[in-house]
Amino acid sequence: MIGYIARRLAFAVVLVFAVSSASLMLARVAPGDYVTETLGAGAGRQEVEEARARYGLNRSFGAQYRDWLIGALRLDFGRSMQYDRPVADLIPERALNTGILALTALVVATLIGLPLGVVTGTRRTGIVSGAIRAVSLVLLSMPPLLTSLFLVFAAAKSGWLPVGGMTSSSGEGLLRHMIVPVAALALPLVAMFERLQSQAMSETIGQPYVVATFGRGVPLSRVIWRDALKNALRPIASIYGLVVGTLLSGSFAVETITAWPGLGQLMLGALRARDVYLVAGCAAAGSVFLALGTLMSDAALAMVDPRTAGD
Amino acid sequence: MRLSIAALVLLAAGCGQSPTSNKGSASPSGGELTASIRTEPRNFARFGPPETTTYLVALLTQAGLIRINRVTDDFEPWLAQSWTRSADGRQYTIKLRPNVRFSDGQPLTSDDVVFSFDAAYIAGWTDSLKVDGRRLVVAAVDPLTVTVTFPGPFAPGLRILDNMIVLPRHKLGAAWKNGTLQTAWGLSTPPSELAGLGPFVLSAYQPGQRLVFVRNPNYWRRDSAGAALPYLDRVTLDVVPDQSTELLRLESGQGDMTASEMPSDAYASLKRGADEGKLRLYDLGPALNPDLLWINLKPGAFAGDPRASWLQRDELRRAISLAVDRQLFVDTVFLGAGVPIFGPVTSANRRWYWSGIPAVPHDPDQARKLLASIGVNAQRPARLTILTQKGRPTLERGVSVIRDELKKVGVMVDVAALEGNALVQQIYSGKYDAVYFNFLTTDTDPALSTDFWLTSGSAHFWNPEQKTPATAWEAEIDALIRAQAVEPDAAARKRMFDRVQEIFAEHQPAIYFAAPRIFAASSTRVGNVMPAILRPQLLWAPDTLTVSAR
Amino acid sequence: MRAFGLTLLAVIVAAAVAAPIAAPYPVDRQFRGLLNAPPTVPHVRDEAGAWRAPFIYPWRIANQLEQRYEQDRTVVVPLRWLSDGHLVTSAGAERMPLLLLGADSYGRDVLSRLVYGARLSLAVAVAAAAGALLLGALVGGIAGYAGGVLDDLLMRGSDFFIVLPAMYIALALRSAMKLVLPPLEVFALLTGIFAVVGAPFLARGVRAIVRSEKQLDYAAAAASLGAGHARLLLRHLLPAARGFIGVEITMLIPAFIVAEATLSYVGLGFPDPVASWGTMLQDARSVRTFVDFPWLLSPAAAMFLLVLGLNLVVQHAGVAPVYNDADGSPRRLRADSDTLRS
Repeated sequence: MIGYIARRLAFAVVLVFAVSSASLMLARVAPGDYVTETLGAGAGRQEVEEARARYGLNRSFGAQYRDWLIGALRLDFGRSMQYDRPVADLIPERALNTGILALTALVVATLIGLPLGVVTGTRRTGIVSGAIRAVSLVLLSMPPLLTSLFLVFAAAKSGWLPVGGMTSSSGEGLLRHMIVPVAALALPLVAMFERLQSQAMSETIGQPYVVATFGRGVPLSRVIWRDALKNALRPIASIYGLVVGTLLSGSFAVETITAWPGLGQLMLGALRARDVYLVAGCAAAGSVFLALGTLMSDAALAMVDPRTAGD
Repeated sequence: MRLSIAALVLLAAGCGQSPTSNKGSASPSGGELTASIRTEPRNFARFGPPETTTYLVALLTQAGLIRINRVTDDFEPWLAQSWTRSADGRQYTIKLRPNVRFSDGQPLTSDDVVFSFDAAYIAGWTDSLKVDGRRLVVAAVDPLTVTVTFPGPFAPGLRILDNMIVLPRHKLGAAWKNGTLQTAWGLSTPPSELAGLGPFVLSAYQPGQRLVFVRNPNYWRRDSAGAALPYLDRVTLDVVPDQSTELLRLESGQGDMTASEMPSDAYASLKRGADEGKLRLYDLGPALNPDLLWINLKPGAFAGDPRASWLQRDELRRAISLAVDRQLFVDTVFLGAGVPIFGPVTSANRRWYWSGIPAVPHDPDQARKLLASIGVNAQRPARLTILTQKGRPTLERGVSVIRDELKKVGVMVDVAALEGNALVQQIYSGKYDAVYFNFLTTDTDPALSTDFWLTSGSAHFWNPEQKTPATAWEAEIDALIRAQAVEPDAAARKRMFDRVQEIFAEHQPAIYFAAPRIFAASSTRVGNVMPAILRPQLLWAPDTLTVSAR
Repeated sequence: MRAFGLTLLAVIVAAAVAAPIAAPYPVDRQFRGLLNAPPTVPHVRDEAGAWRAPFIYPWRIANQLEQRYEQDRTVVVPLRWLSDGHLVTSAGAERMPLLLLGADSYGRDVLSRLVYGARLSLAVAVAAAAGALLLGALVGGIAGYAGGVLDDLLMRGSDFFIVLPAMYIALALRSAMKLVLPPLEVFALLTGIFAVVGAPFLARGVRAIVRSEKQLDYAAAAASLGAGHARLLLRHLLPAARGFIGVEITMLIPAFIVAEATLSYVGLGFPDPVASWGTMLQDARSVRTFVDFPWLLSPAAAMFLLVLGLNLVVQHAGVAPVYNDADGSPRRLRADSDTLRS
């Protein structure tokens, strides 16, 4: 067990460094840099050179990477050129904002999507089942940008909910401001969980042991919700970690439209502005979340399917 | 209908008033204004090249020696109370306003002014404060007097001082000594460290969310009745990255205005809001900075390319200008809310626009003739690639109209829509056929945008930073621009610049098709708005804005 | 239900394949003065109440800046069938086109672009899904089967591709290409990127299923009968994941269609005026769409039909155990709560 965890941890560290290094390398290859971002098209050659020297962008990739690596080993991940703050300060701040959204959306989506999936998986015919399925499919066909825009639009028209933002200027109202972005994040997840769970349930329910349990006289709802469900959680448990990991990295579509200052928006902004250390930092943070998520996932899998534990 | 007339009346009234007047008997005071910005500022000291939000923050918290009144386009005394000019016209002796204090209580002295010039040359938009590439020489005479000496005659005179703001030496002096001035007053600076001479003071910065400014108790300006300015208690700038969301906030009353103009396709929503009495819509007339198409005119750029025989010829550009139906352009790109234009200076620039500029007709036959004269015809069709920026609708739609119109005269256009920084990098590299783009100018006076007009300029896009002028007509424009920059007589300046526009129209190094009408909107509670064409359209005079109670 | 799903898919594919015939106009045909025009609804009874061959009333612009149109009921424009190689179009001149799904912000017929766009979007999505399927199933299957260090390696490897910002990869790849993008290269790149990005989700789920199936009796039985690793994996274990794979694919396909538009943000997409569902939806990204121009959301409706069809086809393809009946013939038990009750 200890060995397993140690191995996972080691791999996670390797992943973080691999992803950050790859991001830095890709940033060099991508055309333009922070100087093209700030000075724009009408800048003179000398101005550009001076600015590049000032930001250290005229060094060779090797030198830049070496300095970054040495800093990273001391847990100094460089400075963001856009915000002129250490990357290590910026990211936890934004990660917290995204985390609030992500975890709430996850809980909501699980509590709604899973049971709905059980319903449609066990009752394959009927209006209720059909309606739920149809709604799921609609949600899967809408791009997240449009879903978010629609929800913000609905909030604006209804007048009860704030249009964008995380808190009011006095710092209150977090819950009210969360409603739209959480809905935008959760709805596609609900659809995904419902579909996956539905499939898994309909497979499980035909298994002999289920039929046998029912034959023994256990009430139907118990059969479904206790015995079948436990074994049908396998597929969802397996991708749960991925979902958690990607959610925690932030959805830039939702965050941009709802003006939620999260990690997704930060990452996209950093990519656009070629703020290289910030991009590397965001990618590193994303890999940390993913590593945590997959660890969670495998733990959940072990719980759900004890046959595979103790690997 | 009644409401729109009321809006028009208010708009007209607002335009006619002088900046320090107030409506009604008592001076309205207090209240909070909320505006939305799309990005966060770069720093709090207006360092670096011009950027919309950074500029807006400086308007709120800082002040300069003079201010350009965006409505009249004249500059007026600001921190400089009065000035005299030397006999040779090259030195100004400026008297500072007495008893002015920074927001932290420290008095303003000429030391701060001298320091601010140094700071601008190190960290500001460096070349903008130079005349002919040389700095101004600033010296303190006594605590309330400075002299500013120009390296040579300069017609706009003190107008150039719009490119600097007066910063507190007692706060930034240390960074200047350490050589860290360029990174001073970045976003991580605590508000208590900032001090300025503007109407507001930064009270809170919530990263990613908003900036909150409160009234500066030490603000020096008073209105004509002697009441202290600013009228507003608080200004909040909310960070809203998406334009649709900005619009929705405006419509639902959550915000009072946006920091930038609204695109043409938002007009319908804004009009609906105005008709319902929730919004006030401002039609600001044609834009000052139109989109432009230019072809790479660097000599030798197409060496070895068989297209070199026609790609850089004047006839090609004239043909392009004739081939595109500008009214179709206006209809498709700006939904009819725009005007055809034929040169870089639009009618929005009232003082410098040459009304005699010849209108280029829509004449595809003539275009074909011109093309045939340089060897382009049905048997040997021309093909070129136009670069533009992805994600900017007016640019993408404009270039698609250009492409379709040019197809009709036998010029095949491939459009490559590149991501922002990739495009800028490509422009730097000089390896392209043509570009369709837009760039912000910050002043109406041509002597203050020499980067674009002079062949040695970095913004002379089609052939930047030339050592010697590549063509005779560009040399002529150089001479005229230099001449009008030193010419003291305003009428003579205008004539020279008219001639520049004439030469430009004849050779068309950059081709202009249409300029959109600019729209802005605010909630109905905002008063004393003096809408102007340059960003921020409604917020350039924040100290006299008022709001009625919510 | 399954037949209905297949029919839906067949109709969509047929429309895509027969695009030049099904679409009234080419994708780049812009109708001047009809920007964001509403759909022209065919009628059969005119104002006077007389019956006619199907016709439409043309649009007249009421306000250009507000993009408001009114129907010109004085003019009757009959529909023309099977002419010029098109299934149906309008007899009107340039000013009076048949816009069954309205026009977009450039004045182009949405239906034509939808039908042509189906080709591109379906091709990319299906190719990418196939790629993701191959990659994901293989990686997940091997990882679940082998376990241990190989499992960790493969899973962390797939994690790497999830976390790496796809936009950066796209940017870097874009810069390595020519300025003017050849469509085939774009297609190949998009398919490749999507396959790599979509595979990890499949890999994880397949791995979990294979891992637990491996412990079941039938797997041990097959192994004892002499089945090698490859045969065990491919013929017995992977098919157990069929249901999961089916559902996952039906979720990846719309995601790929939409992601094509997101990648075009960094310039790696099909250039204008090429139509694809993703870019059409991107153009619809404005507040006015929901209130004034809902027809711009047709690609979302089309995707819904596609996903519905796919879902109906794959939803019961999951493996159910096989039993031997009393008479010895194999029977699959398809149960749901109703049959259990009965």
